[in-house]
Amino acid sequence: MTETTLLPASPPRRSTNFISRLLRDTGPLIVLLGLFILLWILSPAFRSPTSLSILMMEAAAIGIVAAGQTFVILTGGIDLSVEAMVSFAGVVAAILIAGTNQAGGQIAEGLPSILAILAAVGAGGLIGMVQGFIITGLKINPFIVTLGFRSILLGVALVWTRGAGINIAKDDFLNFVTSFIRIDLGALESIVGISQLRIPMPFVIAVVIYAVVWVVLRHTKFGRYTYALGGNETAARLSGVNVDRTKIMIYAISGLLAAISGVLVMGRLQSGAYQNGTNMTLISVAAVVIGGTALSGGIGGIWGTLVGVLIIRIVEQGLVYLNVPSNAKEIVIGAIIVMAVALDVVRRGEVKWLRFGRRSSPT
Amino acid sequence: MKPSPLLKMQHITKRFPGVLALSDVHFDVESGEVHALLGENGAGKSTLMKILSGVYQRDAGEIIFKGRSVDFATPRQAQLAGITTIYQELNQIPYLSVTENIFLGSEIERGAFLDWRTMHRQARELLARLHLDIDPRTPIADLGVGQQQMVEVAKALHHKADLIIMDEPTSALSIREIDDLFAIIRQLKADGVALIYISHHLDEAFEISDRITVLRDGRHIVTVPTDTLDMERLITLMVGRDLSEQFPKEPAPLGAEVLRVEHLTQGKRLKDISFNLHAGEVLGVAGLIGAGRTELVRAIFGADPIDSGRILIDGVPVTIRSPQDAIRHGIALLTEDRKRQGLILGMNVRENTTLSILGGLTQGIFTDRRKESAITQDFIDSMAIKTPDQDQIVSNLSGGTQQKVVLAKWMATQPKILIFDEPTRGIDVGAKVEIYKLMNTLAKQGVAIIMVSSELPEILGMSDRVMVIREGRVTGFLNREDATQEKIITYATAGLDSPGGEPIP
Repeated sequence: MTETTLLPASPPRRSTNFISRLLRDTGPLIVLLGLFILLWILSPAFRSPTSLSILMMEAAAIGIVAAGQTFVILTGGIDLSVEAMVSFAGVVAAILIAGTNQAGGQIAEGLPSILAILAAVGAGGLIGMVQGFIITGLKINPFIVTLGFRSILLGVALVWTRGAGINIAKDDFLNFVTSFIRIDLGALESIVGISQLRIPMPFVIAVVIYAVVWVVLRHTKFGRYTYALGGNETAARLSGVNVDRTKIMIYAISGLLAAISGVLVMGRLQSGAYQNGTNMTLISVAAVVIGGTALSGGIGGIWGTLVGVLIIRIVEQGLVYLNVPSNAKEIVIGAIIVMAVALDVVRRGEVKWLRFGRRSSPT
Repeated sequence: MKPSPLLKMQHITKRFPGVLALSDVHFDVESGEVHALLGENGAGKSTLMKILSGVYQRDAGEIIFKGRSVDFATPRQAQLAGITTIYQELNQIPYLSVTENIFLGSEIERGAFLDWRTMHRQARELLARLHLDIDPRTPIADLGVGQQQMVEVAKALHHKADLIIMDEPTSALSIREIDDLFAIIRQLKADGVALIYISHHLDEAFEISDRITVLRDGRHIVTVPTDTLDMERLITLMVGRDLSEQFPKEPAPLGAEVLRVEHLTQGKRLKDISFNLHAGEVLGVAGLIGAGRTELVRAIFGADPIDSGRILIDGVPVTIRSPQDAIRHGIALLTEDRKRQGLILGMNVRENTTLSILGGLTQGIFTDRRKESAITQDFIDSMAIKTPDQDQIVSNLSGGTQQKVVLAKWMATQPKILIFDEPTRGIDVGAKVEIYKLMNTLAKQGVAIIMVSSELPEILGMSDRVMVIREGRVTGFLNREDATQEKIITYATAGLDSPGGEPIP
């Protein structure tokens, strides 16, 4: 047989070009480490247990949302409802805990926080599932469906709270999920310059979620189907994959995770308000893309998203520590989002003049 | 002294990382000539044409076009110089009109506005020159694939092409459309236009070309007048060894009836179709493009809903509403378009092979990686799937190898009924024979096979029985010994029904 196994058109950027391969696989991680070290050197204020705690806390909130967004984007979809879900779930939990929807503090006796949280998270999963049903059953673009649900959920949160925050008191469970794990660094203090790490419980929860998501994506049928239908939905369907069920589950997971993030944010702020999730949709999408998951679906993974989340948080926090006026923050975040998408395109070698390696590399 | 040719490519060499794609290749084309460029996948045909049309840059060699040494940096430059390529996958904008597509990028303006009248008139003239009866205002999407291709030819004429490269132009065309295309090619020839014709269909090369050049493994093997070659000799040149038979059919003993389709109807596309299928049988399904062949097999597979009719498997009526149902009942479908419907191109060989049986490969909730690897390796070995390893992404594999991966995916489901829709489209001669041999093996194991194909030699060569479909109806059944090209075409085109056309004995 003279048939060649590898077509000569096998792109060199996939197999041989060291720089571009390195950029693709470890680029975001290198950027993250670089930013971290840079900020560590430039800002004494950053080198404190408190600021690291804040970094982890914020990363957890957006990170849990982005984990769900990763599933959705892997299938080639998008979930624009997540920020509304964060607010909505926080509002639901806060009202149930407070036993009232009057702003300004706990008046009546509400539910124990654990029940309120379960209810809010359950509602999140259910609403996500409903979105999945609409997307698959009526074959409506996820962009439209989730955009609509964004409005609905925000609207409900607004109506129920009358635009104010519902304040709550913490009980034992809520205290636990918003507590910190202190780790004394002891002898390491002389090397790293801080005496202890205070790891927020939400960050631990986020890490556990990421580990579970990794296992699901990597070692379960559901995970494989996620990649398969993102890579080629028609082929997946014709191979006997239950595409609709997989998608419905994916939007349910996204809603569920956004709701978990929502109650954690609410617990920390001790307030359920419709603004709690502001900006989280775009930041979660940006984190997923920075982490190397293709917007077209089928390619990517969960650890990249974690790196993407941390990059965005470090940049945001770094701007504060470097005394950049907070009004200018939006500009930088916007620029990062555009750059992330540009990176996605360049990484896949779709821009000729930016391509690394040979000029005439085949396409 | 002969006049110098229109195109002369000399000592062309092209290296890709790890592969010498072309090595010191010579190729020339005369004005008014149809020159067939043949070879297996990976022989270097496409690379050579991409160098000519400015998509790739050569590493060494010289291109002389119309007496001048040329060096095209982009396809646009080649087009301006008079070289146009008509690709396998047409680059057209479906919702724009014929005129808009022809003039895309070279619109005629009057002042700031588009001069529709002139453009439509010129488009009409171009279409008339090709004897095409198409209103230039028609959206491309409303045309058949064949007509879309003719519009591409019209566009090439608009750009005053002296040399047109056709890469697999007939792969999506029906028999009638191919005849139309050939008529146009002959006319272009008469007008002095030169054509380079690339095709896996060797009979077409014999029919239409004046000369044939064969490439193999990036090397120039031979350039000869077409009438000095015969099919056998040509295949030997392409493959580099004797390929004893193109269609190595080995009849398998017929077993019990496994599939019976009764009165299957689906809108206007499928009308009252009935047939049966036995274990070990290969039923060829022939018909023109659009006759309903693909619709039929998709309906049986549950990919599209049916309006009425029954399907019986092993004599028992079954309900098939989705591909999952079909797979559960032991049916598998190799779709006609393996890239769009058969493979997840970004996934590796293992993931594609086990996609349909993943449910059975789990331990608790986890996929069993070891079992997955073992099954995949079995198929790689038994089917001689040419891949460096299981982790190879399938988009990097050749067409024939990809087709084997799709086949492996379906064999893994251990089907009773295996449906092939265009099993050898776009794959080379050697790989075709391997697919046929796998078909033989499967039939001997008692698998019942339905083979939809537009290639009549394939239908005649591999089928035990042929079912012909026209406009959604079965028009005839032919046994292997009675089947001829002429009979099939008659049933597929004319208003004749099979005399003994009782579908179920």
